[in-house]
Amino acid sequence: MVSVRGLTHQYGDGPAPLTILCGVDMELEPGGYAAVTGVSGAGKSTLLAILGGLEPVQSGSVLVAGEDVAHLRGGDLARFRRERIGFVFQDFGLLTMLTARENVEVALALAGVPRRDRRDHADRLLGEVGLADRASHRPARLSGGELQRVAMARALANNPRVILADEPTGNLDEGSAGRVMDLLERLRQERGCTLVVVTHNPELAARAERRLRLSRGRLVSL
Amino acid sequence: MSWDDAALLALRSLGRRGARSLLAALGVALGTTLLVALLSIAGTADSRIVSQLSHGGPAAAIHVDDAVPDPAGYNSDSLQAGPHRDLDDAALMAIRHAPHVTSVVPVLSTDALVVPCPGRERGSPSAPPACRQPADDYFGALVGADLTRSSELPITVLAGRLPAPGSMTEVAVTQSYVERVHLDVTHPAAVLGSPIELATPQLLPGGNRFRGRWYRVQVVGVVAQTVDSGEFLVPIQQTQVARQWALSGAENQSFRRPTSPYSGLVVVADSLANVHAVRQEIFTIGYANSAPEHLVASVQKYLHVVDIVLGGIGSVALAIAVLGVTNTLLAAVRERWREIGVLKALGAADGDVARWFLVEAGLLGISGGVVGTAIGTAVAGSVALTVNRYLVDQGLQGIDLGGLPVGLLVGAPAAAALLAVAAGVVPAIRAARLPVREALGG
Repeated sequence: MVSVRGLTHQYGDGPAPLTILCGVDMELEPGGYAAVTGVSGAGKSTLLAILGGLEPVQSGSVLVAGEDVAHLRGGDLARFRRERIGFVFQDFGLLTMLTARENVEVALALAGVPRRDRRDHADRLLGEVGLADRASHRPARLSGGELQRVAMARALANNPRVILADEPTGNLDEGSAGRVMDLLERLRQERGCTLVVVTHNPELAARAERRLRLSRGRLVSL
Repeated sequence: MSWDDAALLALRSLGRRGARSLLAALGVALGTTLLVALLSIAGTADSRIVSQLSHGGPAAAIHVDDAVPDPAGYNSDSLQAGPHRDLDDAALMAIRHAPHVTSVVPVLSTDALVVPCPGRERGSPSAPPACRQPADDYFGALVGADLTRSSELPITVLAGRLPAPGSMTEVAVTQSYVERVHLDVTHPAAVLGSPIELATPQLLPGGNRFRGRWYRVQVVGVVAQTVDSGEFLVPIQQTQVARQWALSGAENQSFRRPTSPYSGLVVVADSLANVHAVRQEIFTIGYANSAPEHLVASVQKYLHVVDIVLGGIGSVALAIAVLGVTNTLLAAVRERWREIGVLKALGAADGDVARWFLVEAGLLGISGGVVGTAIGTAVAGSVALTVNRYLVDQGLQGIDLGGLPVGLLVGAPAAAALLAVAAGVVPAIRAARLPVREALGG
């Protein structure tokens, strides 16, 4: 499902570019669950961005859900993100002018789901994350845990093969963080998708099937 | 993302920054207001004044006199008349059949002794307003015209109505008469309904004494007219009777019997360009005439310059408004970097993001355009009414304001929307090309 070979990534074009990833290799089976840890600036988010097609592949090969990410451009890259990937961000990334339901519907609209089907689909997804009664609420009226659950519902909207979560509990208190991770893992199991979580939290990382650590540009299994 | 999805997103985005969106839309509205108002005013000037003039309408009419032309007057706007020459039906028919002539209306003017508010009604407190202050009797001129064709004559009704065609008891007066009976010319309606006694003259045999044919008329209207010089506009039948009355009398050196069936003609050419040719033809037929052709041509040129200047001012205003839209959207792009990044992470293509901003620009443009067009039309209407009132107060012909300029009403909001969309292109491209990771703050 996720196959990374010799991935190298640098920032800066000058004589001394900063190498953030240096020959990273990574294999993850379909339905697998990996947690990537590392200090700040180690390149965790960059690795996640490359896997999700948000950052171009500079060197090496990256296969995600059967697609060679290095060779995707423009519209194909957008389609890849739309159909294959579900993102969960630390700061939730919800559009504040839309309700919870409409935030989920945006993802469905981008995938071309007809308007008449979107509402039911969005409500079903919000029901799955336990927010059926909050569908018409705007983000400003939701708690941190609820916001992240809306973001998860949105990430699942188009049945992605891979969920990439960047510090999904970074803005949540301990109780909410635990509930969000429980939900994320349950949804992964129910849907059979691959889950890659980037986190600072060793306890959270310990819940994953595979624990990886990025250090000095290299990925090591723990 | 479809256009209607983009519209929903754009509407919500505009609503979130309501004050800023309102200001941007107001900018477009102000620009559109100015453009619509200026173009409407220029359009009114063009379509109502210039077209009336340039199509040889009543304001550009040729006045034919019952006199032989003076050759010196061939290239003059003013009347340069030689000796008297009768103007009869044969001459009228000859002129009517001349090339480029669209209408010929006969005029017959005659002098009369005028007695405002005759007899016991004069000076009485219960008398009509025109009769409450004494006014002297005087000699005035009755301008008789075929009032069944009043639309072909340079006449503007300021108050009341024109006399009924053929009526022998109704008269319309000019503002000079209103002034003469000590009424306020800005409220000419006060003179309506007042009686006047008229006496058209007949020289008695012997040539020393006159007798009058007395008859009473009622003022039914106040007009501004340039059909002929005179304070009273009457149906031509009244002056024809007066002519017959004078013809049946004697004449001397100072009082000639009116042998000419008409004292003048009002001739309308099919276009301003042909006014000169028609005048030459009338000269050839043998009658002096005048027309404001040089004046109209000059006015036309100046109005065209005014059009250009007004359109330019309006366009600059609209351009400034459009720059305001660009500025607003550029600020919005900066403000929404994160949201743009999120949308792209969700799979939005560059085109989806661009559509969001273009629709937002279009919404600002159409809302500002509709409001601006409405206000601009109201402003233009108000200006036109004020100008019309001023012209009428000055005793000049008013402007037929006509209906609303439909093309402008439809075109202005559409143009504002299109310009706003054009103004949104740069912000939209900037948003669409934003690197997704950079937008997400990575």
